[in-house]
Amino acid sequence: MKMGVFVSDYKMAGDTLQRLKADGIVLVLNGVYHAFIKEGGKPSPVLDRASNIYALSEDIETRGLSAGSIDSRVKVVNYNGLVDLIFSDYEKLAWL
Amino acid sequence: MADVKLAIVVQKPQYKGETSRLGITHAISYQTVEILLEDGDTVTPKLCFIGEGVLGLEKGQKAMEAYGVTSSETHLKNALLVDLDVFICKDDLDRFGISTDRLPDAEDMGADKKLQFVPYSEIQKIIDEARHVLFF
Amino acid sequence: MGTLTIGCFPGLVGSAVYDFALKLSDAAAGKGHKVNLWFSGNATGSAKANQKHLKDYSTGEKYVKALLEKGVEICTCEACTLARGVQKTDAIAGIQWNAMHWYLAKIHASDRVLHIGGE
Repeated sequence: MKMGVFVSDYKMAGDTLQRLKADGIVLVLNGVYHAFIKEGGKPSPVLDRASNIYALSEDIETRGLSAGSIDSRVKVVNYNGLVDLIFSDYEKLAWL
Repeated sequence: MADVKLAIVVQKPQYKGETSRLGITHAISYQTVEILLEDGDTVTPKLCFIGEGVLGLEKGQKAMEAYGVTSSETHLKNALLVDLDVFICKDDLDRFGISTDRLPDAEDMGADKKLQFVPYSEIQKIIDEARHVLFF
Repeated sequence: MGTLTIGCFPGLVGSAVYDFALKLSDAAAGKGHKVNLWFSGNATGSAKANQKHLKDYSTGEKYVKALLEKGVEICTCEACTLARGVQKTDAIAGIQWNAMHWYLAKIHASDRVLHIGGE
């Protein structure tokens, strides 16, 4: 069963996420910063943890981030798209 | 008739917040879920502790005296008493320098189950085999 | 159509996670899915009726009522709610009160479970 992992923080999820097998990652709330911030010029290692990465559009817009500067590996979804992902792509969900 | 396997994974330390304690009590509630299910249906949780979730499980806790609340030690013993399978990540105990003999059993309460100290790979296997996973 | 059960533990005020849980519930129900919502921990404070919407704080009551009207089943952990001083008579009508096994029973019948832990 494919596992979709929700990442809702910028700093706090590391310990578990490093070891957890994730087929997809959904960046929500402060987790969307992983798609934008390049600490020391490097993209977030969270983006290397799964082949499919998504970020919630509403949380991007709330924070004044520009979709134009998002990491090219990240697909933007809205709530309706997120529901479709949940039911179509990932049988198991984890929230970190 | 179906059995639904759950992985309840506690990743946050005990005390300060209530999340990790709620992980234990939600797992224990499997004992009474049958009153809301059809005959023959069951929910089988496996309770796992990883990362900082292994902190605050040691013997000799005085939470009742200090805060007037049931200690994590008592909750853990109750989990064993109701025959839950409880897994503690040995890799993380080693990382934090906690020896297994510092954690309780519930023999004095008549429990047959004991805490199971396993490598993270075993926990991942439990997560893989579960129908749903709940991180606390 | 499927069944989604969401466990929500963070509180209404002081955490945007609660808002996320309600919005996801709304979107899933809007697409015709069956949605169950379990409040535990600090989320149970949101069962209280007569919330005042101030612009610096999230509000959940209108959203919760709208979800109930859409057929979303919402249940609050009785012990967690009473511990916060909220009585059934003070609560939003239509929210169920039960113990943790309600959540496990709903999980049993669910295609998807999103458990959102607290803190």
